[in-house]
Amino acid sequence: MINFKINRTLFILICFSISFISFNDVKNDLLPASSTVKITFINTLGHSNIVLNDSMYTNPFGENYSISKLRYYVSNVKLNSSLTSFKEENSYHLIDESEEASQSFNFNIPAGNYNSLQFLLGVDSLHNVSGAQTDDLDPTKDMFWTWNTGYVMAKMEGNSPSSKLVNNKYEYHIGGYAGPYSVIKTIQLGLDKSAEFTAGKTVTIIIGADINAWWKGANDIKITDHANITSPGKLALAISDNYAKMFSIEKIISE
Amino acid sequence: MKARIAILIFLFIAAFVLILDAGKIERRQFQVDTTTPIKFIIPGGWPKPPTNIFSTNPLTEEGFQLGRKLFYDGRLSKDGNFACASCHQQFAAFATYDHDLSHGFHDQFTTRNAPPLFNLAWKRFYHWDGGINHIEVQALSPMTASNEMAENVDSVLGKLKTDTSYVRMFKSAFGTSLINSQRMLKALAQFVGTLISSNSKYDKVKRGEATFNSAEEHGYELYKMNCSSCHKEPLFTDNSYRNNGLALNSFLKDYGRMRITGDPSDSLKFIVPSLRNVSVTFPYMHDGRLYSLYKVIDHYTSGIQPSPTLDSLLRKPIILSTAEKNDLVYFLHTLKDTSFLNDKRFSQP
Repeated sequence: MINFKINRTLFILICFSISFISFNDVKNDLLPASSTVKITFINTLGHSNIVLNDSMYTNPFGENYSISKLRYYVSNVKLNSSLTSFKEENSYHLIDESEEASQSFNFNIPAGNYNSLQFLLGVDSLHNVSGAQTDDLDPTKDMFWTWNTGYVMAKMEGNSPSSKLVNNKYEYHIGGYAGPYSVIKTIQLGLDKSAEFTAGKTVTIIIGADINAWWKGANDIKITDHANITSPGKLALAISDNYAKMFSIEKIISE
Repeated sequence: MKARIAILIFLFIAAFVLILDAGKIERRQFQVDTTTPIKFIIPGGWPKPPTNIFSTNPLTEEGFQLGRKLFYDGRLSKDGNFACASCHQQFAAFATYDHDLSHGFHDQFTTRNAPPLFNLAWKRFYHWDGGINHIEVQALSPMTASNEMAENVDSVLGKLKTDTSYVRMFKSAFGTSLINSQRMLKALAQFVGTLISSNSKYDKVKRGEATFNSAEEHGYELYKMNCSSCHKEPLFTDNSYRNNGLALNSFLKDYGRMRITGDPSDSLKFIVPSLRNVSVTFPYMHDGRLYSLYKVIDHYTSGIQPSPTLDSLLRKPIILSTAEKNDLVYFLHTLKDTSFLNDKRFSQP
């Protein structure tokens, strides 16, 4: 009788262990404690947020203009620490001024200290030559050239009395992924030392993009002279050298 | 005794659990493997394609058949009249038969002669100017061009989603019924990327299954002497960009490759077309300005226009007698692949 009891106990135990092994996916919780980083882009002109269509602005050359479309790709987002770096997976984001949801994204990173945020302004060359893509890289996002394959890395359109084109339109579709006219820019922004990425916390990095940088910086881009830059080449490169300088860290919030 | 029963029950349960698990694995595999793979076969003696255009687009019968249906479907255009196949006709080796420029939306002309479609897996770049860098994204160009199919991709996808046969075919090709641009483009690439023409008389001669007559044989020798450095065997193109001495068309003002690179040294350069099936792809050249093979040969013997970017191989004139021109044309006719032009697998489903 005792013998049977032991066997029965053993039997139940074995059944339990089998069912445990079979029906539970054993989760591997050995990853280091993670923290969430949320990155938000705010497009500004000087110190005010952009209003599409209805506001007139003045560029450094005194030319008035409105903005109807403003979009750019942020890809290959990384956080660097002194020893290592952590890259977001499948890191392709189309920041679109007309869609607030597109201006923020978040991902998990191992907790620790990071001293800089790095990303590409544009889509890496590999994804310009790899055929049909999805999500933010879907060609239906209207950021893809069909006659000269490649992504439009950044786009700004609007009207300006200084433009001599039809309806005083100006259009900048800035792209080119290869050779001397590649407009892909690596952006690196230093993070405040006090920003700690503590386990279980969310750190929000707010990045300001000052659109004034498009006109002046490395090169002068006047609407009077160049209201239409819509193919890869020298002018696209010139404007990209300017807007590469538009980003700065506005604020880091830990909560 | 009881212990033995316990062990038996234990073994029974253990076996049951194992069977359940095995079933799980099988079901999983079953979900993935409902498609029928197609093997991409490189014809004997041909080089390997420069890149594997199907590396992220596994070829399947279901994907191919979906691509075939899309290729022949006018709904890919704005007014329903312009399927891919309206400018790429199988009997013309998927070029537009007897048209210098093709017709598009609202009675507009295209600006270039529609190229034939075959052996595309051996190309690195597409279009006369090489502006397209991957076969999957090529279809976006005619689909959205205002003088071709004039449609936008979202609108095409909307039309496909309302058709239950497409919903079914996307599901069988890609596992779920999601219809998006990537899947549509990959399916089209599976169809056009497997249009292989490798069974002309020339190929049969190379395989020892046929023989050239004396005129064809002589024409082949003339081809090897005068044409083969650009129109290289066995694909009959080296896929390079060259200025072949055509004067600038004053209406179209098409500078070819320079439009893509912005480089003046690429002015008036176009990709070298294959000579395969050349007897059914007339008219010739990027704007279809030459209506017969004789006109083309005459261009090379006496029509070359000098310019700074003229190809170095054409700076010295090609000299051919009338009899030699005839023999060369005889040879060019041996590049017609009748079985490809009539292959039911490639015809309208």
